[in-house]
Amino acid sequence: MILTQESVKLIKEKVPLYPRRKSAILPALTIAYHQLGYVDDDIYREIADIIKVPYVEIAEAATFYTMFPKAPRGKYLIQVCHNISCALLGADSLIGYLEKRLGIAKGETTPDKLFTLISVECLGSCATAPMMQINHDFYENLTPQKVDQILDELRAEA
Amino acid sequence: MFYSPVITNAAEAATNDKLHLFKYVEDPEQHKLETYVKHCGYQAWQKVLAGMKPDEVIDEVKRSGLRGRGGAGFPTGMKWSFVPKNSPKPRYLCCNADESEPGTCKDRVLMERDPHGVIEGMAIAAYAIGCHRMFIYIRGEFGHPIRRMEEAVAEAYKGGHLGKNIYGSGYDLDMVVHTGGGAYICGEETALLNSLEGERGMSRIRPPFPAIEGLYACPTIVNNVESLAAVPHIIRHGADWYKKMGTEKSAGTKIFSLSGHVNRPGNYEVELGFPLKKLIYDPAYGAGIKDGKKLKGVIPGGASTPFLTPDMLEKANLDYESLQSVGSMLGSGAVIVFNEDTCIVWTILKLIHFFRHESCGKCTPCREGTGWLEQVIHRIEDGHGRQGDLEMIENVCGNILGRTICPLGDAAVMPIQSAVKHWRDEWVYHIEHGKCQVKPHFPFK
Amino acid sequence: MAQDVKDTQQPKTEIPTVTLTIDGRAVSVPKGTTVLDAARQLGIHIPTFCWHPKLKSVGACRMCYVEIEKMPKLQVSCATEAMEGMVVRTDSDQVKQGRKAVLEFILLNHPLDCPTCDKGGECDLQNLTFRHGFDDSRFEFQKYRFTHGAEHTTFDDVRIGPEIVLNRNRCILCYKCVRANKEAFGEYDLGVYERGNIAEINAAPGELVDNPFSGNLVEICPVGALTNSDWRYKIRVWLTKTTPSVCNFSSTGANILFFKEDHQNKIFRTTSRRNDAIDDGWIADVTRYGYQIVGSPERLRTPLIRRNGKQEPATWDEALELIRRRFGEITERKGKVCIGGLASPTLDNAALYAFSKLFRTVLKSNNVDYRIDYKMLPTSDGSLYLRLSRRPFRIADLDTSDVIVTFGSDLVREHQLPYLRVRKACSFNAARYFSLTPYPVKSADVAESELIYRSGTEEVVLTAIGLAAVEMGLVEKSLAAEFSRKVEPKTLAEASAICGVDEESIRLLARAIADARKVSMFTGEIVSGSPARDMIAAAALNLNRLLGIEQRGQLAALAHSANSVGAEKLGVAPAPPASVVAKLKELWGQYPEAEPCTTDKMLALMRKEDIDGFFIVGADPVMTYPERQFAVDGLEKLDFLVVCDLFETATTELADVVLPLASWAEFAGDYTNLEGRVQRAERAIKPMHQSKTPLEIINLIAERLGGRLFETDQHMQREVSALLALPDQAHAPGEFLAVVPASDENANGSALPLYVCDDPHHSGHLTEKAHSLANFCGEAYVEMSPDLAARLDVTDGTPVRVESEAGKVVVAVRISDHLDNDVVLIPRNFAATAVNGLQLRKRRVDRVKISKVVD
Repeated sequence: MILTQESVKLIKEKVPLYPRRKSAILPALTIAYHQLGYVDDDIYREIADIIKVPYVEIAEAATFYTMFPKAPRGKYLIQVCHNISCALLGADSLIGYLEKRLGIAKGETTPDKLFTLISVECLGSCATAPMMQINHDFYENLTPQKVDQILDELRAEA
Repeated sequence: MFYSPVITNAAEAATNDKLHLFKYVEDPEQHKLETYVKHCGYQAWQKVLAGMKPDEVIDEVKRSGLRGRGGAGFPTGMKWSFVPKNSPKPRYLCCNADESEPGTCKDRVLMERDPHGVIEGMAIAAYAIGCHRMFIYIRGEFGHPIRRMEEAVAEAYKGGHLGKNIYGSGYDLDMVVHTGGGAYICGEETALLNSLEGERGMSRIRPPFPAIEGLYACPTIVNNVESLAAVPHIIRHGADWYKKMGTEKSAGTKIFSLSGHVNRPGNYEVELGFPLKKLIYDPAYGAGIKDGKKLKGVIPGGASTPFLTPDMLEKANLDYESLQSVGSMLGSGAVIVFNEDTCIVWTILKLIHFFRHESCGKCTPCREGTGWLEQVIHRIEDGHGRQGDLEMIENVCGNILGRTICPLGDAAVMPIQSAVKHWRDEWVYHIEHGKCQVKPHFPFK
Repeated sequence: MAQDVKDTQQPKTEIPTVTLTIDGRAVSVPKGTTVLDAARQLGIHIPTFCWHPKLKSVGACRMCYVEIEKMPKLQVSCATEAMEGMVVRTDSDQVKQGRKAVLEFILLNHPLDCPTCDKGGECDLQNLTFRHGFDDSRFEFQKYRFTHGAEHTTFDDVRIGPEIVLNRNRCILCYKCVRANKEAFGEYDLGVYERGNIAEINAAPGELVDNPFSGNLVEICPVGALTNSDWRYKIRVWLTKTTPSVCNFSSTGANILFFKEDHQNKIFRTTSRRNDAIDDGWIADVTRYGYQIVGSPERLRTPLIRRNGKQEPATWDEALELIRRRFGEITERKGKVCIGGLASPTLDNAALYAFSKLFRTVLKSNNVDYRIDYKMLPTSDGSLYLRLSRRPFRIADLDTSDVIVTFGSDLVREHQLPYLRVRKACSFNAARYFSLTPYPVKSADVAESELIYRSGTEEVVLTAIGLAAVEMGLVEKSLAAEFSRKVEPKTLAEASAICGVDEESIRLLARAIADARKVSMFTGEIVSGSPARDMIAAAALNLNRLLGIEQRGQLAALAHSANSVGAEKLGVAPAPPASVVAKLKELWGQYPEAEPCTTDKMLALMRKEDIDGFFIVGADPVMTYPERQFAVDGLEKLDFLVVCDLFETATTELADVVLPLASWAEFAGDYTNLEGRVQRAERAIKPMHQSKTPLEIINLIAERLGGRLFETDQHMQREVSALLALPDQAHAPGEFLAVVPASDENANGSALPLYVCDDPHHSGHLTEKAHSLANFCGEAYVEMSPDLAARLDVTDGTPVRVESEAGKVVVAVRISDHLDNDVVLIPRNFAATAVNGLQLRKRRVDRVKISKVVD
């Protein structure tokens, strides 16, 4: 088992919330992702065994959504919104700025496996653009100074 | 300090009796049950359980003129009344909190700052349709709103506002906070239901409509967060109070998310019928175009609604019928403002990229058409546009519009069609000169 | 069996009709019909890709647009309900433009690799583009290409199943395969991944698409995305001709088409030939790939005669002459009753009838049977099991039943198409399905409740249902009292304790049957194969009477082989019903007085040398008789054994004369399916090598023995028809029957119940010769629960010794994904395993011990 006892417990708690077991697929994938930072075929299998739905249904659902990458990423996943409201306020330049600061191109992970930089679609922070999400938290109304500060803090934390 | 630093007009709401959704959103304690109750919270729910029949609730909401705030604007009470009265199947209520329409960031604020308002609205709606298990489907990326909502639900159970035999009325109601996995399409109600069932979030063909056969093939109502948040106020103050606000066909208030090139982007609750121009220019709201630039265009209702040009702004009020009369839609109330430096081809490329990425892939025109459009528009933006490209874009848009299972196909092409119509010269220039008339580069500063 | 099986529907509750106009023509259809179906009724063709008549409409491909007055947008006809007064156009300019646009979209990322695609000639995309599309493309970009996980060829092919090759580039995402796999077959080995324009169909990660219905996925693919590796690149489809036939591997009689080429005298593939009364257009893989036995290089080429202990090729004349001489000698020495015969229930009506006539008129013997794998057969016509098996049953009625009960049947292994109907009833009409078996079965995944009873307690389970109904007051008092007097045990509690099914589950089932509007209930091989089958049938008939099942539906024991029902109706059993005997006497002017002998009895008589000559057509008792040594001992004692088969088998090895038999694809014949429906299989190719049809062989032998069976073919046809037209005398008894549970004589200690069954990809003793089927299930195996495997410390593929009182075999372990109790299954289809060597004909439940092979 790759999933921890804690994750298995959380997943099992989700099942009875729904009239049908299959509904627990997304919650289970979310719990697995929170533990691991990725969800691959082996995890699909484990989830299928826990919530007792066909394995292929887990794989089909997981790959439909964007939040369950199959491979691990850096410790901090930086997701910059590149959609229209953010782009109007410099999101493309923000991505360029992060690329320079991290020394990687969009889609890459720093050699120390600390940061992965990707751009994503609208995250619903349009009136506080530009913004980015790092792991599960939003960072809004970004400026170069703020970005520098955030990166410094994360580096210090790591 | 709020989690999200978004600006609101709560100060205005605090003194304006008509505004209600935002009355307490600047109160840092409002998300707690204690504060919510202090602010008359759960009174409507108590009133309902104390003596209203489900049909009376439906009638009240029907009479209020409340229309869906998620985009389609369908009358909420009427939607509820479609649930079969004598079906032996369980009924379900799903609150649609999969807020993903580019430009829209209002539901998130309600969930973060006033989660009990959403729960109370859901509870009343659930009672009206005879539902005993309700779901809120929150987009998975909304980490903080999800946490806030979960805490609020736990508190509501503890406070006896949810659970078994609520207020001794004999009515049982459970609530489940369900989170998405990252897919814009799940904001479409049938895709949301599929997703909630653990399927891929693909839209279903209608009929049957969800009110007849929705979640687990049972009668189901899907309502937007903001629509449901308005319900307790309607019940508390009465349909007549609500109906007096707004216009004849667009009753009540609505939150508009203002973003893009304005000085004060933010969420503003205003009465429907509010002048769009005022929202953009009034110092209490958008406070005008950023950096003293000129206005180029506005998307009034989220990324899937057609553009308005500055001259159309004069006649455009923020209500369903006015925006329709100028060729656009109220949508989710996301007003995106573009300044004169914005290249229309660049803008459209951003949008079509989004819709291509979010197309679920079920029906042919949307799946294939959005990809094709992105490639053609990409070519133009890259300076390699060809003669005939514009006509082809228009033709392909025509082959998608109205030909798909769900509105995503329409959403993808309507902004393109309006952009080609309003700024045709700019497209032609782009194609002929291989470059833009304006500088499409927005600095990060 | 039902005499007058017609395709007419039973009277239903009145469904109102609506009248609409399509292309100016009015049509009335039942409310709920789609516009597409209404148009089809008028013969108006609306093109489709994602629509399938047996799946729920999804409206995905958008090819079936129509214009409907008062609706501004084009509508998809597959998902639009026909309404009163609708005015529909299927050929307007807007519709034509809509179709063109859809085809243009579909072709954007389609590779247009028709020259190298084997779907060419029967491709919906090709055909619809030809008819409705543009002749040019406006798409000037690189087409999307799926290469990951593919073979590095021009085609980017991926093998996703033993016989399925996937080409994702050609896929148009109609999702029919995935939908059919889940919706119709309940299988989860194929899925769709990612989304939007890079969504792709593929096998479940790390798995193969190898379910027993997988061939259908290829057949319904509208493009060359799924192709069949058995068929592809062997012949262009337009060079083949088709022959209508029926499946010879199951009692359902699925309608099929053979694709054959005359110059090569070769069949290239089998597809379905949709018959909604029977198969809904689905066929099992054993039906699809079973044709391969016809062209197998191992087919017998000439007659063989044993000379000096060795079988050597001979001419037909030599073989027939030898048969004449030896049967003559035996008759002279000991009398005609010393000759017996066994005919396979997969033979056609004419051959089976001729077989019986040969024995009864020429040899004057009643030593004739078709039941080759039954334990301890009854000889008398009074068999209750036979009464149960002759009750009317219609497959299509499963669709409209609101309660379905299957008893002692592992559906996926024995009744695959009825199984799909059960699934359909559950998923389309919310039928309540109850599965009762001694071990968990795959098919129970659609069941409301799966009741697992203790092995060998069938009659107790059935009685328990009746007792539950009585105790809950669901039946009228005097009836209840009468029932209770006749049965043992007397209370639900006792019965539940014996059979091991909890009382609550039994009550739930009893109430479901009692409340049902229409019930379908049938028993399967676990009942027919049990020597206690008459007692079980009595319990089932009691239940029928107690709960009035036949008044509200159907209850029957289903036949197992392609023509078992024909054999029964034509009197191939040793003691046919009186009405059949009377008809035979009338037709023949004679009927032997000799004692009727079943297969079991005949084998016993051989051991005592009371039967000296034996004639077998198409059967392999050494491999299938449920006590191998008993069969071998008998057959070895014979003076003279003649066996006709397609291949050398364990039984032909013992024969003095072996005759090459033509397969069902090599002659035209009629077969009677489990409903009593007579269906014709036409001749697809000429008999291979020197083989002859069973009727020809029987006629030739009859002539040599001095009797001509039929003056002409017309005479033969007339006699067969006269027998088939006889009404069934299988009225349910008008009283309750005594049911006393037989004690389980062999529940000794730790031994595990053994169930011998068909592999889901096999049927009978010949399908191992079909190489595709061998690809699916590989070698012989013993299937067991993960828990048992863990206790035995074995895993998938570990060889184990399986031992019974009768013998032992070594076979590989297969860990089951649904078994969870201490029962093991071994398929009968593998010659190398000889699983019947573990069986004893007198044992109700065979029991085995399993140990790890230590090397």
